[in-house]
Amino acid sequence: MKGKNTITNTKQKKKAITITTLKKEYEGNKIISNISLSINQGDIVAIFGPNGCGKSTLLNILSGIAEKTRGEIKFEEFDNKKFSYVFQNYRESLLPWKNNYENIAFPLKLRGVSEHEKKKKIGEMEEIFSFKGNLKLYPYQLSGGQQQILAFMRALVVEPKLLFIDEPFSALDYENNLLLRKHLQTYYKKYNPTILAITHDIEEAVHLANKIVVLSKKPSKVIEVIENNAPFPREVSFLNSKKFGEIKAKVLEVFLSGARE
Amino acid sequence: MKKTFVVGIILLFAVWGAVTLLHLYDAFFLPNPIEVLTELGKLLFSGALNADIYFTLLRLGEAFALAAIIGIPIGLALGASTKAFDSMEFLVEFLRSIPPISIFPLFMLIFGIDDTSKVAVAAFGAALIIIFNTTHGVMNSKKSRIIAAKLMGATKTQIFKKIIFWESLPQTFIGLRTGLSMALIIIIVTEMFIGTQFGLGRRIIDFQYIYNVKGLFGVIILTGIIGYAINMVFAFVEKRVIHWNGK
Repeated sequence: MKGKNTITNTKQKKKAITITTLKKEYEGNKIISNISLSINQGDIVAIFGPNGCGKSTLLNILSGIAEKTRGEIKFEEFDNKKFSYVFQNYRESLLPWKNNYENIAFPLKLRGVSEHEKKKKIGEMEEIFSFKGNLKLYPYQLSGGQQQILAFMRALVVEPKLLFIDEPFSALDYENNLLLRKHLQTYYKKYNPTILAITHDIEEAVHLANKIVVLSKKPSKVIEVIENNAPFPREVSFLNSKKFGEIKAKVLEVFLSGARE
Repeated sequence: MKKTFVVGIILLFAVWGAVTLLHLYDAFFLPNPIEVLTELGKLLFSGALNADIYFTLLRLGEAFALAAIIGIPIGLALGASTKAFDSMEFLVEFLRSIPPISIFPLFMLIFGIDDTSKVAVAAFGAALIIIFNTTHGVMNSKKSRIIAAKLMGATKTQIFKKIIFWESLPQTFIGLRTGLSMALIIIIVTEMFIGTQFGLGRRIIDFQYIYNVKGLFGVIILTGIIGYAINMVFAFVEKRVIHWNGK
């Protein structure tokens, strides 16, 4: 099975991204040795692997921040205006000179959306994420967790068809982490975007993803893609289910096999 | 500022007072602090220094405004374009290495001995500092927000106006503040030259000519107080404009 993906039931779904034998070298270092991946529209893909295995590099290549060395990436109906990226470091991606409202409105403003429409969309985001922070304040006046939620609201306010998330929950304590997972699922149920999320947390990966891509250590390749077809929304109780335990065990086994290589 | 800041001042006056009380130095050239402060008080309350303070501040204001109006746009342009920076960096660095005061005699020839030459040389000195800092503010702005905006579909102009300009603002303010101090120094010195009727620099030189040492000390202290107050006002404004700085 190794090096191959094990996706089934994909025929009826529309493709979103197809990656074929992607390679990345940087200053003579092999970072990604071989990644092939097929992602369907509406997939939530967790990219799981050891630290420094090139997970962020993969998202950077896909989003055009970094260049690939070799391989092919094919987007279906990819539109820059319908794409968002939630960065790991919210501190360095939010705009501290703008207040919280203007931060969320920023991508809409770039697109020339009307004030009325902005207000409506931001109100909707506040509701989906149960955001209790004061939008008239500045990001640095919020807690780390609230800032991360702000970054999510800013990313989702444009209703992206494709969403990239880099270590989204790292700034949150466990309680807020679970809450954000819940809110993110609310959004997903409503808009059904394709999501690629980097994570080093196996629980997050199994909780949210329907495809868990386990990468080997650097130079990375896909060890296996594990499916999780549990229906959404997945409540916290899902974390106690037998199915969750089985998938988690499987991911761990594959991950460890990659670490041993 | 901690409340203990008075300790340093008390210490200075104590040492100064002790030196004069013990006659360790010629009392004519080092009058005791009480005499100096009394003289300064007299000068201030009689209104004898009003015109001097007014003209010094007026020249400073003009020079600083001119320096900011010229310096910030040039700094932004040099920071934004590698080509412009590469071709102008040496020139800016070279001009910055010239002590501005050394240009004053030339400016007097060109602009005449009235205020224009003083304001021009102070603006020259301050503008170079502002250009330097603004340029580096733009060049060193963090890449993460630029990338974020780019991924949101921002155009180059939007990225410059909405991200880079703001990112560079704290460094620009450092330039403005340093430039303001530089302008004050240059204004005071140029006022000591021929062709000045009023100005704190003029008063300092006049008191030296007529051996009014108490007055001389008094005006020097006043100049320090004014410089400090200007800095405080600037810091107050800065804190409100770049409220996010350091947070």
